[in-house]
Amino acid sequence: MRPYRPKDNVQKKAYYNDRFYVTPQIPKDDPASDEVYSKDIEKLQSKFSISESYIQRGELVIYIDPDSNVEVLEFLKDELDYSFLMEMSAVDFLAQREGFEIFYELLSLSKRKRIRVKTFIKENQAIESVQHLFRSANFAEREMFDMFGIQVNNHPYLKRILMPDDWEGYPLRKTYPLQGDEFAQWYEVDKIFGKEARDIVGPEIRDSAHIDRYDTERFARLGHEVPRGTDISKDEPDTDNHEFQEEGGVFLIKDLNKPQKVLSEKERRER
Amino acid sequence: MAQHQVNYGQDAGLPVALTTIDKIVNWGRSNSLWVLTYGLACCGIEMMASGASRYDFDRFGTIFRASPRQAEVMVIAGTLTKKHAEFIRRLYDQMAEPKWVISMGSCANTGGMFNTYATVQGADRVVPVDIYLPGCAPRPETLQYAVMMLQKKIRREPANRNRNLKQKRFV
Amino acid sequence: MQQTNRLRPFFENLTFDRDDNHMVINFGPQHPSAHGQLRLILELDGEEVVKANPDIGYLHRGMEKMAENMIYNEFLPTTDRMDYIASSSNNYGFALAVEKLLGIEDKVPRRAKVIRTMLLELNRIISHQFWLATHALDVGAMSVFLYAFREREWGLDLIEDYCGARLTHSAIRIGGVPLDLPEGWTDNLAKYLDKVERAVKEDYEALLDENRIWKMRLENVGIIDKEMARSWAVSGIMLRGSGFEWDLRKEMPYELYEELDFDIPISDKMDSYGRYKLYMEEIRQSVRILRQLIPMYHESEPQLMANVPQYISPTKEEQMTQNYSLMQHFVLVTQGMRPPVGEVYVATESPKGELGFYINSQGEPYPYRLKIRAPSFFHTGILQDLLVGCQLADVVTIIGSTNIVFGEVDR
Ligand code: SF4
Repeated sequence: MRPYRPKDNVQKKAYYNDRFYVTPQIPKDDPASDEVYSKDIEKLQSKFSISESYIQRGELVIYIDPDSNVEVLEFLKDELDYSFLMEMSAVDFLAQREGFEIFYELLSLSKRKRIRVKTFIKENQAIESVQHLFRSANFAEREMFDMFGIQVNNHPYLKRILMPDDWEGYPLRKTYPLQGDEFAQWYEVDKIFGKEARDIVGPEIRDSAHIDRYDTERFARLGHEVPRGTDISKDEPDTDNHEFQEEGGVFLIKDLNKPQKVLSEKERRER
Repeated sequence: MAQHQVNYGQDAGLPVALTTIDKIVNWGRSNSLWVLTYGLACCGIEMMASGASRYDFDRFGTIFRASPRQAEVMVIAGTLTKKHAEFIRRLYDQMAEPKWVISMGSCANTGGMFNTYATVQGADRVVPVDIYLPGCAPRPETLQYAVMMLQKKIRREPANRNRNLKQKRFV
Repeated sequence: MQQTNRLRPFFENLTFDRDDNHMVINFGPQHPSAHGQLRLILELDGEEVVKANPDIGYLHRGMEKMAENMIYNEFLPTTDRMDYIASSSNNYGFALAVEKLLGIEDKVPRRAKVIRTMLLELNRIISHQFWLATHALDVGAMSVFLYAFREREWGLDLIEDYCGARLTHSAIRIGGVPLDLPEGWTDNLAKYLDKVERAVKEDYEALLDENRIWKMRLENVGIIDKEMARSWAVSGIMLRGSGFEWDLRKEMPYELYEELDFDIPISDKMDSYGRYKLYMEEIRQSVRILRQLIPMYHESEPQLMANVPQYISPTKEEQMTQNYSLMQHFVLVTQGMRPPVGEVYVATESPKGELGFYINSQGEPYPYRLKIRAPSFFHTGILQDLLVGCQLADVVTIIGSTNIVFGEVDR
């Protein structure tokens, strides 16, 4: 029987887990412990509902409502001078919490501080675009849509960015296998030669250690080369020795055809 | 005028060499391989380096061309992704016969370390490849050796060879 | 005779029935001066660009997905292939992010820090030289290309002496560096620095600074004003070329940059020429940093890897002599380290700009999510706004001056 593998997360898992191992947590500090952050968080809390806030590894993290993302970011940009949106993307929590966590990484040049704004949306919920505040979100949101399938409202050009336009599936979801589904594996063959060519081209070889002795399209046995595409499955034709090295050969590369003399123990020692 | 006269009868002074058509055509072909610049990823940088000062590719008669119509060798230098695959086929079709393909780097050979959904597992799924060049990234010397191997291969083949055999796998 | 395939002419997102006199041209994805696989769909009114639409993803190799399926140490060589002009800076960005996640960034021994900083700066020089070579080639200055590549090869020789690879170094590990510098390396480095300094002054700047064609094609071309720079979150030289004084090496120092003495050149010209001057100045500053690092190296103790048995493999000597160390090494190699639950975003100043790694760890040996903030990604995005209104001939020089690398854009 094949072992059962959960379908909601097909990423690689650790094959061994210690039963008594308790994973440590990165400590979460109180935002009041930092003077810059404590002022910022005070101002933020007076205007918006912040469900959680802490400092982790020197960076303030706040959790906000998904509906208020534009207002919070606008406030951060205009009032608190976090004017660079360095990065935004999502994290897939579909299996655990049926949704995605979206994070915005903001940077303030004047305060030399970073802040991470996080929010949680359900699977089919859309998020408002912030690209009128930060143009950098234009590309980042498109990438998020491409990779996770998260809809972004009011985005001017929400199309796939990294994958081709006619791609199926969202590659960074945990349900998407690393090596692609069937559509992905035949994508280039279907597109260039048509579905009929699948038999001729053959499936992808994903095993990096794959060697096929009878496949003369891709492999050549050193010293027993045959012309490409010869069928050697029944009996291997005797090939006359191929001349691979012109004009005395190449430094360090041995001529395989040369009859090699077996050295006796004494001769070997003398060498 | 008399002192400039060539004495054809003198010892091997005859300015004539006898050879076969195949040999002379292949000699010409193999010594002026024009390469289509196809730098796709990291290997493309090494391809550029082999064209630049230290490794000077022009010594082999190999000149980089930007247009497929003027090129006869395509060096696929880098990772071929599924999104790009159709373009490589397009450019390959635009090249005039006779044409050869060198697949440079493990990515172009087999997909290399990128065993993922987005990478074509070997450029030979899309275009027929003549020389596979291993390494990640292969050094410029390796690329030069590959070009030398290709020259040798060209010299061995009949000049008007039928390429149908190679195309067989591709509809 | 060649058999045909199924490909139809490629007209995706182009419309041909239009009333205006605009012409649509397709630039790339295989264009010799697109610096990789950039596809630009340009709408032209005469010679002027009215709309530009960068289409990327032709080098998307799924690195973030790969990271989710790999233990942390396994992923490190993959980061080489992002910004393949300066591999060590990617290695370093990732290694630092993991170190921050584990909380061991202070335990990295001093000699490892010196070597890392050396590699970073050497990579910066090489990357800037490469930028100059390709950019000059695009503008039409072929001889600069040959000169810059000549000096770049010397830099690659040094790196090759250290780690054996020319392009994909993997020379920085989580917790330190794997090897000490070979004997005589610092002397070679000192010689190389003299050559670079001379080359910048007597070759590149002498050829280009007052060159009329170079000036006419770069001055007042590709102007990024402050608002555009802020809005697109550009970083690195693009940001400093727009008059912001911001370099992560100075503002949020990591590694040894706090102790080192160097300047951050800024320019308020905002155009391509100003950025070119910055690149040249940065090479000089890197040379200055490297000169200071050579004595620091000789003063440091010869320890190379952090001593954190929970996360980092013990030294070879300990593995060979102590049973428990060998077991630990075995577990760390086969199962991988298990960092604490949490997330970090760590940014470093790579030659292209701010290179950030966001790691979300759920306590597994595999990262739950790894997001790479690549500077070039946003520098490609800015082409949408930057190219509008410029001439067709300037498109190539503007792309050149943004210094984008597609391994990083598409990841
Ligand atoms: S083979 Fe290696 S160096 Fe070449 S493109 Fe692939 S990853 Fe880059």
